[in-house]
Amino acid sequence: MMKGFKSVLAGTVALLALAAGSAQADVTVLGWPGGPEEVALRKTVEVYNARSDVAADDKVKLIFFNRDGFWDKLQADLAAGSSEFDINLVATYSIGRYAPFMDPITLPDSAKQIFSDKVLATQQFDGKQYGVPTDLSLIYMYFRKDLIEKLESDAAWKKTYGEISQKYLGKTLEPKAPDQWTWDDYAATALFFTKGINSSSPTRYGTVLQMKNLLFNMMVFQSSARSEGGNWLDENGKVSVDSAGYRKALELYKKLYDAGTSPKDSLSYEFPEANAAFGSGQVATMMQWNAAFADLNDKAKRPVVAGKIGTVAPPAGEAGRFTHIHGLGLGLNKSSQHKEGATKFLNWLASADAMVTYAKAGGSPALQGDAAQQLATDRPDLVTLGEFANKYGFIMNGGTTANALQVYELQAKEFTGYWAGTKDLDATLKETSDEMGKLLK
Amino acid sequence: MQAADRRDSIVLIAPVTAFLLVMLALPLAIDLLYSVSQVSFENLRAPTLQGFGNFLKVLHDGAFWSAMGFSLRFALVTAVAELLLGLFLAIFLAPILARWSFLIAIFLLPMMVAPALVGLMYRLILHEFVGVLPYYFVLWTGDSPAFLDPQNAFWTLAVIEVLQWTPFALLILYSSYGAIPGEIREAAAVDGIRALAQLRYIDFPWMMPTILLTFFIRFIDSFRVFDNVYVLTGSGAGGSTTTISIYIYEAFFKQNDIGQAVAASIVLLLLSFVVLVVLLRFARARR
Repeated sequence: MMKGFKSVLAGTVALLALAAGSAQADVTVLGWPGGPEEVALRKTVEVYNARSDVAADDKVKLIFFNRDGFWDKLQADLAAGSSEFDINLVATYSIGRYAPFMDPITLPDSAKQIFSDKVLATQQFDGKQYGVPTDLSLIYMYFRKDLIEKLESDAAWKKTYGEISQKYLGKTLEPKAPDQWTWDDYAATALFFTKGINSSSPTRYGTVLQMKNLLFNMMVFQSSARSEGGNWLDENGKVSVDSAGYRKALELYKKLYDAGTSPKDSLSYEFPEANAAFGSGQVATMMQWNAAFADLNDKAKRPVVAGKIGTVAPPAGEAGRFTHIHGLGLGLNKSSQHKEGATKFLNWLASADAMVTYAKAGGSPALQGDAAQQLATDRPDLVTLGEFANKYGFIMNGGTTANALQVYELQAKEFTGYWAGTKDLDATLKETSDEMGKLLK
Repeated sequence: MQAADRRDSIVLIAPVTAFLLVMLALPLAIDLLYSVSQVSFENLRAPTLQGFGNFLKVLHDGAFWSAMGFSLRFALVTAVAELLLGLFLAIFLAPILARWSFLIAIFLLPMMVAPALVGLMYRLILHEFVGVLPYYFVLWTGDSPAFLDPQNAFWTLAVIEVLQWTPFALLILYSSYGAIPGEIREAAAVDGIRALAQLRYIDFPWMMPTILLTFFIRFIDSFRVFDNVYVLTGSGAGGSTTTISIYIYEAFFKQNDIGQAVAASIVLLLLSFVVLVVLLRFARARR
């Protein structure tokens, strides 16, 4: 009996030792699950592992959490000092929060040929690089090409457009090409294509605003605030949200919502709801993430609008034309037990070969130079992505700090309160400014 | 012999004691420590003691009381509605359910769906462009209400909660109604009692403990509601649909203020104790 017990014990210890050994033998990467990023990362890792110069101990294996609550789970794991993964996902808005549990990395010089400074900055905190920028997201203005073309050419529509803009905006505007729009042109177009305002509009709404109390919606909104000169912090590092730029952008959203240019339930809308509205063919324009394009332009899924969608950078304000950018990346877990192998993989990942492989497999890196040109045939959308990121991309001052996420959360709560009419603008901006002061001090 | 008995008792009780210590006492001790500390994900293992600052912060936070108010109102409205509907259905459908008992399984279906999934379902059902309800509203009235805007969100959420959990009340109350001895009803019938009088003087008094139990279970469950509300409206425009569970979750994960979140949980625990004591006294007084 005792002998049997000893055998079982010895066997268990041997198995555990084997399992521990094998865990240390691989570089484990915790990736972003359930989307094109996962598919792309799998393919890229496959290519890496097949390379002859990758030692058996440095082979990469992948693990994925569920996407729901991903960041909370990652945060808990990192804080607990987990060494179950050597490389973990990191996003622009959470770098500051995760930085204490990660090691900064030094990318090879060649990375600067592939990624622009703006794109590299999406993975930097406190002057240090924390991740390889694998996927970039930015905001496009989506519009119905067929409707805007008619608006630019139809005399009767032009006349009504001028009358509506005079009535609601106090100035007579003429239709322009979308890449020339200011926010006034956007507002006038939204008003014109709203059935409740213009009974001959072919669409029910002129635009669809994502106004749910959600941090990602705040990112969509920042483009308008930034283009009007708004920023989180001024050049002296002082909170500057209580500004004319934010005031103007907030008022514009409220004005459009109150005028009925966006669906009544917009205060509960986020990414999928806005896409569903635009995809129904009953909405003329929309500010939305670049990731929505493929789905909206799919004839099988969205037969009403596919093939009729144009995308440009969001309209210009007094300070110019801007689009919010943020990126996903992969960085080094401070508690990793296999940092050398992990660093080798990250260095390779920052190469043109790896990024082109990643992009062709469905990822969305914003590349430049030769690397971007290699994608011109297979992924022309990524060429545009890189160009827009370099030309119009911005990250708010303080946008990668430890409390950046809390700032977005705070703004989401305060700004949606103003849009819902439960708070006035002065109180909203003052409270936002006071709380941001505590978060960003 | 006595020593052996005592030793056996200790051995037998040890696993449960160890389990309770690890699963309840230890987390509670950590919670108490965190509640009087400045703690975030950065210093989970080395929190800084700061006295009762977190409790003062919570008690002076308008958002906390607003969330408490929302949860109380939500729990009260939904628990009463579920109880009344469940009671009505239990009595009204009793003859049918007695004959075709498989119907009970059908009525219980909504309970089998995870609340988060219910939230997702209603995001689709209520969407102006793809939802079934707005479609028929537009078809029949030419317009559809904004179900989830700040003016209507509370009632929309309450109706969804009631639709999902009334079957629970139905199940419990139907069991209780069916347990009333037939001879009592027969005796009352012989005495010529009318239906309403039978409900008032026989059925309701007999069912009262179950009615109260059902109400309190549903009240507690609705008070701590999280999933479906969070999926449908988040914390709502300007925080208008923040329940107490959402408040604690957001303080913990979104604001990274673990001390405040734990302090809020402990305040909630203490308030629950007060309510529990009052209820127990009320129940004893009835006895």
